[in-house]
Amino acid sequence: MTRPRASVLITVAAGLVAVVSLSPVGYLVLREGFSFSLLVHELSSPATLPLLKNTLVLLVTVCVFCLVLGVGLAVLVVRTDLPRRRMWIVLFTMPLAVPGFVSSYTWVAASFRFFPDSTALSSVGGATLVLGLGLFPYVFLPTVAALREVDAAQEEVARSLGRSSMRAFLTVTVPQLRVAVSAGTLIIALHVLAEFGGLQLLSYQTLTTAIVQRIKVLGAPESARALSIVLVAASILLLFTERLMRGRRGRTRIGRGVTRVPVAWRLGRARTAWIAVATTVSVLALGVPAYVSATGIVSAIVRPELSDGIDWSTLTQAAATSTKLAVAAGIAATLVALPVSWLTSRHPGAFSTLTERAVWIAHSLPGVVLALALVYLAVHWFHPLYQTSTMLVVAYVIMFLPLAVAAQHVGLRAATREYDDMAHSLGHGPLRTFGRVTLPLAFPGIAAGALFVLLDVEKELTTTLLMEPTGTVTLTTALWATTNGEALDYTAAAPYGVALILIGILPAYLLARRTLRVLR
Amino acid sequence: MTTRTNRGGSPVRRAVAVGAAVAAIAALASCSAESSDDNGASGSKATTLTVYAGQHEETVKALADQFTAKTGVKLVIRAGEDAELVNQIIEEGDSSPADLYLSEEPGPIGQLDAKGLLSTVEASTLTQVDANLVPGTKNWVPYAARARVMFYNPTLISADELPDSILDLADSRWKGKFAYAPSGAFAGTVSYLISTIGEDDTLNWLKAIKDNGVNEQKNGKVRDTVEAGQHAFGLSNHYYWWILAGQKGGEDKLTSKVHFMDHPDAGSLVLASGAGILRSSKHQAEGQQFLSWLASADGGQKVVAADEDAQFPVGTGVNSQVGLPPISDLHPPKADQGVFANLTKAKDLIVQSGIA
Repeated sequence: MTRPRASVLITVAAGLVAVVSLSPVGYLVLREGFSFSLLVHELSSPATLPLLKNTLVLLVTVCVFCLVLGVGLAVLVVRTDLPRRRMWIVLFTMPLAVPGFVSSYTWVAASFRFFPDSTALSSVGGATLVLGLGLFPYVFLPTVAALREVDAAQEEVARSLGRSSMRAFLTVTVPQLRVAVSAGTLIIALHVLAEFGGLQLLSYQTLTTAIVQRIKVLGAPESARALSIVLVAASILLLFTERLMRGRRGRTRIGRGVTRVPVAWRLGRARTAWIAVATTVSVLALGVPAYVSATGIVSAIVRPELSDGIDWSTLTQAAATSTKLAVAAGIAATLVALPVSWLTSRHPGAFSTLTERAVWIAHSLPGVVLALALVYLAVHWFHPLYQTSTMLVVAYVIMFLPLAVAAQHVGLRAATREYDDMAHSLGHGPLRTFGRVTLPLAFPGIAAGALFVLLDVEKELTTTLLMEPTGTVTLTTALWATTNGEALDYTAAAPYGVALILIGILPAYLLARRTLRVLR
Repeated sequence: MTTRTNRGGSPVRRAVAVGAAVAAIAALASCSAESSDDNGASGSKATTLTVYAGQHEETVKALADQFTAKTGVKLVIRAGEDAELVNQIIEEGDSSPADLYLSEEPGPIGQLDAKGLLSTVEASTLTQVDANLVPGTKNWVPYAARARVMFYNPTLISADELPDSILDLADSRWKGKFAYAPSGAFAGTVSYLISTIGEDDTLNWLKAIKDNGVNEQKNGKVRDTVEAGQHAFGLSNHYYWWILAGQKGGEDKLTSKVHFMDHPDAGSLVLASGAGILRSSKHQAEGQQFLSWLASADGGQKVVAADEDAQFPVGTGVNSQVGLPPISDLHPPKADQGVFANLTKAKDLIVQSGIA
């Protein structure tokens, strides 16, 4: 059977998306002021090596932490008789609603309140814990979905051939999690590479914190841009590694039928202990931000003279702006991602792979670098768009596009071409096939992509600071204005932090609910 | 036959995409429509000035509100950090939307000045403020000042045990005792050091600071960690301490104390916050009007003096209302505020030392 060629329109659109996604990288290299010798100078600077080391160490520790936590909790929820599984899935998804800099801010504030002379948080361990607790859902959610797709029959066959239950799980089921786990880990790794606000509050220096520091405080943008190229190289390496980890083998199973649920492992007497583990994770990931925010709000209300109380008009204005921007970017990213994900899922090949990987690179750049690139491009070529919400949405789309592409890819994979063929053979025309077969099957993935983008946009800080229209505020920039990363007292920031979390809960819940469906 | 299966799907896909695109564009348009109405909302010809400000946002807002109440001229504020905003203005070039720049530190506004991007300030404005802080070029006017100080925790160290000069901190006996932050004022200190002890010694000093001190990234965090007893003392700007005192309900509520050096030193610099008019602005007259008001004792200086962010007012005869000593009691080394504009070398050394 020969493969149908991709339509020219889709190919061109996908190529265009890739080019636009790469434009910030182009800016880094092509901008006047960059030279190869500058790059060498930066690389050989004694400051660079420790930064590289710090970045690498944190990358590994956070990824390992999230892998253990994400896969472990997914197995606990899906494969054991842990009670209240739906509640746990929702709770383990909710960290997505907490922006990284809010969680580290609240952790630091809590540490100051309860252990004033402890510096334990300002360490690799502290940074790993705080970042990891916010990022593990990116592994947890796809793993839950993947675990449920595995048919019990496969493990049963393995067991009938004499393997133990655990060995059957490890050798038959775990390898099938590869795609889900590696995609989630990639997202986490790129988030770690680009993280700024959270790490600065924890005094942990990485390439990105140094880049942002050089741009925002020292005013050394050339040096920052050169370091950013190192970051781009790191992300290309990661993208390549993930490609290898994921493996190539596809899986086709037309008879979707009913996948049977494997027998749940009995936790027995360890049940209480496992409930305690799950509770601890939730308390650390959600309880700390919630507690510090709540007490912050209470003290803002009780002692308004110390924090100027709550500025309701700014708060509601900022919440409206944040929501509007997030929704606009979620929709825009979904549309822009479609040609790319369509191409990668329906027409795999060198071109579609390159296109898809290209889209990821911008995701690893610190927001401030992306923003500088777009400021430059806008000032020089698109001046009417400069400092408008439209330009800001374009920036968000470039940043978070890969989240949409990845989720859509999963959705479109569920709607394999075999279904099209079957629909055709039953007399459906191509139009009806798309509308009644492909779209409904792919929709959950497409919607999830939009939600992931929406959540990340709502939480975004650094790009927004540089690109928002003069005079507007979002929840993140309003929160940042109360502190600029300076104050460790959370009172003034709390209302914005709480609003951010509250707005994030709905999309995070929708994402969890999608996963709940597979539990049945 | 199989080759045909896919092609025909595209019209529907296109239709769906077009529909959704229209919806998205409508959403986008509604976003940008409301943001671009900064002019002429009231219908009359009320001027609106766009202010880029690296200064504390709250302080700038207070200044803007007072000025608008007095003159009817509206100010829109774009707040950020000095270095990034200055870079942004340079990147924007002649088409910069900014009319005014209000800096936090003398260095960054000095850079705008050095690039020829600022208009000369009217002499009558400059004579209203402390002459020591007026830059030689007269292209920006100081409107507030910050002093470099040490915060110390008396439970860990007494005032007379503190070093006499921040140059002493290179000595290993201070190892692990103090905190610092690579802030704009820190960069200013480094450019002052380069002009006094030279590049090589400055670099050695920076390397020793990195080894001996704890980099807390932000001045506010230097304050909070000293207050919490994590470090005996720290290098910072004076006002952070007064802000915390205000939040806690009084200076006596704090454990830590502020130490102003009683002699000129790189550790007792006074750094001016400056205001200037962009040459590319179409509102030069209103800009001058704002600067003149900003420098006047019963205008902007009154606002700075009463501001809870506790920076020094610099208008002749104006004293802080929030408990600061008179600026004339300080002992800063003599230096033209223009010295701080030469940041290129300072940045380079800070990066080389591995501090940032």
